[in-house]
Amino acid sequence: MRVTTAAAGVGTLTALALLVAGCSSSPDSAAPGGDAAGACEPSGGAVELTFTTWIPGIEEVVDVWNAANPDIQVTVQTGPNGNGGTYQNFFNQLRAGNAPDLGQIEYDALPNFRVQDGLTDLGACEEVMAAQDLFVDWTWDQVSFGEEGHAYAVPQDAGPMALFYRQDLFEANGIPVPTTWAEYAAAAEQVRAAGGYITNFSQSDVNQFAGLVWQAGGTWFANDGEEWSVDLAGPESTQVAEYWQDLVDRDLVSSVPPWTSEWDNAYNTGAAWTWVSAVWGANSIASGAPDTAGAWAVAPMPQWEAGDAVAGNWGGSSTAVFRGTEHPYEAAKFALWLNTSDEALTLLNQGANLYPATTAGADLPALADGVEFYGGQAIYDVFAEASTQVPAGFTWGPTMTQVYADVSDGFKGAVSGRGTLLEALEAAQESTVSTLRSQSIPVAG
Amino acid sequence: MTRTATPPPAPTFGARRRRVPVPHKRAIAFFVLPFGTLFALFYALPVGYAVWQSLLVVEREGTFGPAREVFGGLTQYAQVVQNGPFWASVGRVLLFGVVQVPVMLALALVFALLLDSPLLRGKRFFRLAFFVPYAVPGVVAAIMWGFLYSPRLSPFAAVTSRVDLLSADVVLWAIANVVTWVYVGYNMLIIYSSLLAIPTEVHEAARLDGAGQVRIAWSVKIPLVMPAIVLTTVFSIIGTLQLLAEPQVFRSFSSAVTSTFTPNLTVYSTSSVPNFHLAAAFSVVLAVATFVLSFTFLKLTQKKGVQ
Repeated sequence: MRVTTAAAGVGTLTALALLVAGCSSSPDSAAPGGDAAGACEPSGGAVELTFTTWIPGIEEVVDVWNAANPDIQVTVQTGPNGNGGTYQNFFNQLRAGNAPDLGQIEYDALPNFRVQDGLTDLGACEEVMAAQDLFVDWTWDQVSFGEEGHAYAVPQDAGPMALFYRQDLFEANGIPVPTTWAEYAAAAEQVRAAGGYITNFSQSDVNQFAGLVWQAGGTWFANDGEEWSVDLAGPESTQVAEYWQDLVDRDLVSSVPPWTSEWDNAYNTGAAWTWVSAVWGANSIASGAPDTAGAWAVAPMPQWEAGDAVAGNWGGSSTAVFRGTEHPYEAAKFALWLNTSDEALTLLNQGANLYPATTAGADLPALADGVEFYGGQAIYDVFAEASTQVPAGFTWGPTMTQVYADVSDGFKGAVSGRGTLLEALEAAQESTVSTLRSQSIPVAG
Repeated sequence: MTRTATPPPAPTFGARRRRVPVPHKRAIAFFVLPFGTLFALFYALPVGYAVWQSLLVVEREGTFGPAREVFGGLTQYAQVVQNGPFWASVGRVLLFGVVQVPVMLALALVFALLLDSPLLRGKRFFRLAFFVPYAVPGVVAAIMWGFLYSPRLSPFAAVTSRVDLLSADVVLWAIANVVTWVYVGYNMLIIYSSLLAIPTEVHEAARLDGAGQVRIAWSVKIPLVMPAIVLTTVFSIIGTLQLLAEPQVFRSFSSAVTSTFTPNLTVYSTSSVPNFHLAAAFSVVLAVATFVLSFTFLKLTQKKGVQ
């Protein structure tokens, strides 16, 4: 009796598996080819679109659109648990075939979504292609993957980096504001002598490190159309890793886990004096360290060579139209308005400190004002300049979630004395290549 | 599974017949249907789907070519076998379980015996007080303990700034403490309810024979609640192998918790690559390991019972 029940159970499971297999294989085989740009025709009649994003206060911006466009109504959905949770949701929804029409995707995640065949090529949408010149060059590179006549999303904002520093503490201790990385290391010694840490090395948000490599002129991935190449431990990455390893070894930087209350506390109590961060970081400091209002200022990022003017980029996102939308034309139209109109860009900046990806965005009246938290400094002037100094051509890989997790695992060990930052990058180099292989993504090396 | 699926043979008196027709077949089918449907939809079907997914591999052409899923046999399982971090995480939770499960269940047993003994006052208060942590969602508990452990923000910063409870050597046991805190009351309640089911005559007989409370607990109560202890042990083994929420929360606090700290965290990280097929293979292996461990434990304890 028992044996037969068990056999029946196995039989049922097998039958179910086959049944499921039958269901699952159909949408995949029906998936459109990756390169062919689909049609981009108006649907005619009233259209309803869904848009999933985590940008705070974006509902107000969309309300403005909805009031002006009764025929294209957009509903905002909020993703769970910030960007990471939202991406996980997107991947699951794409697999299940019920993704929203539009989604918020950072530049570093776009290749991941494209390789999973999740994005609609907007190359056939004339209005989108005509808007190319409105955007800062490198942001357009990110959404077109450098391919002429294609666009897989519309750039929204950028994250040009600069140096946030405690002006009061630097002045009181007679420390000059560093303009090169060598000066920054020297200042780190003085800050440590004064009882603080010059900054906090980010052990788990690898994006900041990537921004530093970007500034140094490195790139982690390249795609020649035939295959990917991975270069996590190239000369520029090595230079940046060794620089920070030295500061970690000499206990000149702290290593509080980023985005925690401990981390906020380090800035709020004056334990950490600077942060090399992106434009949206202005918001993070103001909300995480409210007791230090008025004491901060922003200067250009330290340079590797004195006299250079190169900035890194950390973050920035795009509005993508997902595969499977029935209304690519209307979705693209909304995405363009959201990311190019003065009206929307001003609201996005006021609500979420987003810095526009358009060249004209730098001249928005809202960005010319002094910011109270930064002692009235017109901080966006610094970022406007940095925005034009970000090198083009930095390429993200198709499995960045895995790259970040693996590099971060190694960085965590390095700041607790197990291994080095460079070894972490070398280990991640290997695991990244094998992850690409396991996904049958052609890769060199 | 076998027990529920096999209808007990109807008692027969007199005539000895091999096969007895099952009466009320339709009624049985009717009553089993709701369970059967839900079981098939939300248990068997997802398990079958995971098994199927784990047998696929992805093929594509070009750097951005769309993925084609093809049957790959045991390719993903070969990957699982070669995956060092996964097996390291299995070793980690086994070590965790060997230490944490006995400690937690010993505490639960002691608390249950105390609640059941006539010596203790304020039983209702303690019963609730021990159980309350289980009512706190696991993630919230982990965040709360994360703050308590934090070197600078903890109310016990005098201790935590000297002994880093979130460092590589200690963090596993810091997590063990959280898990114990949450689940002691739950296990205590299962054992306690089993203690309540012991007829009072048994206690009285032991007392008349001159046994004290400790002796009664050791020689009468514990043997009688053994099935409950075995049950909680099996639950705990399963829970240990499936640790996810606590280490996931601690990842943001501690530099010692990596993305492959426990097997389930490895599954989660793999599925967010997204590499659903390898994640499915990890899950299947983990499920099989859990079954094997649980049933081995059951078999061992059953043999003991026979002796």
